[in-house]
Amino acid sequence: MAGLALSAEQHVDAPPGAVFALFGAGCGAGWLFDAACDRLAVGAAVTLRAPLFGAAGEPVEILGRIATVRPPSRIEIVHDLPWRGRLRILVDPDGPGSRIRIIADLDGDGLNWLMRRRGFPVSEGELSGTHPVGLLTSKSGPASVFASATEHVAAMAVEEINAEGGIRGLPLRLVVGDDGTDPDLGALESWRLVRAGCRTIMATTTSATFTRAAHELRDAGVLMVQTVMNEGGIGSELRLQLGERPVDQVRAAAGRVMEAAGGRRWFLAGNDYIWPHMVHSAARRVVAEHAGTVVGEAFLPLGTRDFAPLIERILRSGADVVLSAFVGADLVQFERQCLAMGVRARCRTLAPALDEPTRERIGDAAATGLFGASGYFEELPGDANAAFVRRYREMYGRFAPPVSSISESVYEALHLYARAARRADDDNPVSIARALRGIRHHTFPRGDVVVDGPETFRQRLFVAEARPGGFTVSRAS
Amino acid sequence: MPADLAYDALADPVRREILNVLAEREELSAGELSSYIHRVGRTAVSSHLRVLRTAGLIAERRTGRFRYYSVDPTGPVQDVIRELQELIQGSLDATKSAAENGAARTDRNRPGRRVM
Repeated sequence: MAGLALSAEQHVDAPPGAVFALFGAGCGAGWLFDAACDRLAVGAAVTLRAPLFGAAGEPVEILGRIATVRPPSRIEIVHDLPWRGRLRILVDPDGPGSRIRIIADLDGDGLNWLMRRRGFPVSEGELSGTHPVGLLTSKSGPASVFASATEHVAAMAVEEINAEGGIRGLPLRLVVGDDGTDPDLGALESWRLVRAGCRTIMATTTSATFTRAAHELRDAGVLMVQTVMNEGGIGSELRLQLGERPVDQVRAAAGRVMEAAGGRRWFLAGNDYIWPHMVHSAARRVVAEHAGTVVGEAFLPLGTRDFAPLIERILRSGADVVLSAFVGADLVQFERQCLAMGVRARCRTLAPALDEPTRERIGDAAATGLFGASGYFEELPGDANAAFVRRYREMYGRFAPPVSSISESVYEALHLYARAARRADDDNPVSIARALRGIRHHTFPRGDVVVDGPETFRQRLFVAEARPGGFTVSRAS
Repeated sequence: MPADLAYDALADPVRREILNVLAEREELSAGELSSYIHRVGRTAVSSHLRVLRTAGLIAERRTGRFRYYSVDPTGPVQDVIRELQELIQGSLDATKSAAENGAARTDRNRPGRRVM
């Protein structure tokens, strides 16, 4: 990979072993050495909180994986977000002390991302002679945890679509926008994608961003597709909401979770925006169907890092089941703190947004026993999924983030879109949207899917119980 | 000023070398500059300078028939790269003080963490 290599160096009056031991110890040794990782081992997930926008700004989470560990002299981290790169930490003896060198890769995408975040205009390059489609995703902020494989999987779909001849003789070209898990930024980025020439935008963001962007672009004549799990409600001629619905997800897993918990008292807790609110109301319905009770409810803003007061309330409530409608980095922190505060001994948890990359960052200890429910898990049987996962690993290597229902949904949406666009009378988004409603596909990694109107996406659901290293997946009853 | 141009400009080793020389010498004519760059000839240096200037990485000043080049200190790409560099350096400064204040010895046996 061609790119710039930024480097920094420092002499330290401590031997290499002592310097090396600081990595991941979380003792205020700078944002690089304060990397969060459960195990310092090859393949382990690692998160760096880099104050990219100054001490006053929210730190940006660099999501990566340990690629090399050679105590006491070398640690390499590969990361996929906010850009793909590699960080090398080299510790050498230097007299009685050590010399630390950091070498950080910055590629074109990374530089563009940094430039845009600072408000500088960045060209998308030449788009004429292509069929541009926007991808609005979260390359930063709490949602970047669940969105981490999205861009890779989207690029894979684009490659396949173009190998089949593209769309109306033109190669499909993906233009990526980052909402930073912020609806305001999401709306701005959506406008940027439209100005760049996109007449369709696929969104894998939170519903908070999607609903805002869908509203702001109401007169733009742009087809917007929410590919990931969502609450529905704003489907229309140019708005498609695919993905799992909360009531189906909760209903799929509720019986099994209550059985495992040995009780029917639920505590509902989630982030404070539209999707978790709708998950809670779905849960109330399902709990009532099972003659259960709701003993408590709480919402916390996206970006919350201290869940202790909420967890104390949960423990006092006597709940058997926790419905955890947190997402991304918030779900990670909530579940880790639940483990630390003893929730696991008392309650079982259903987290509808629990997917592979989130499970991995929650970590084996805190994730084991959590339930999720969605239309896709990496462990699903079947040739189509095996080929999908194999191809993903061939393209992006073993350190790339795992695929999930979230990222796989954009793969499907792009293929469905390409099929509809080829079938439509013309390349007007209204015509393509019409062709898209009522399309079916039988060989996706998640199985058969049917788009049946602007908000009806039929698919099988699966219940997954987290175990060390992955999920045990079964068909929803 | 597009960052992708700057990126393309910086991806070339000769252009990075030119930038390094300019950063050290402040301002040079094309002729002076090519005496420092040994791996390519003067014509090539001129075309590299054009790429760097289009990308907004260097500034050009004309005096009579001479043109002088310098690193453009106001370019946003430079800002972004410099800030990132400072961020990494700042992190290492914190590592230094943590290491020299003995933080490693107290936190080494933090439970739940294994080194393999």
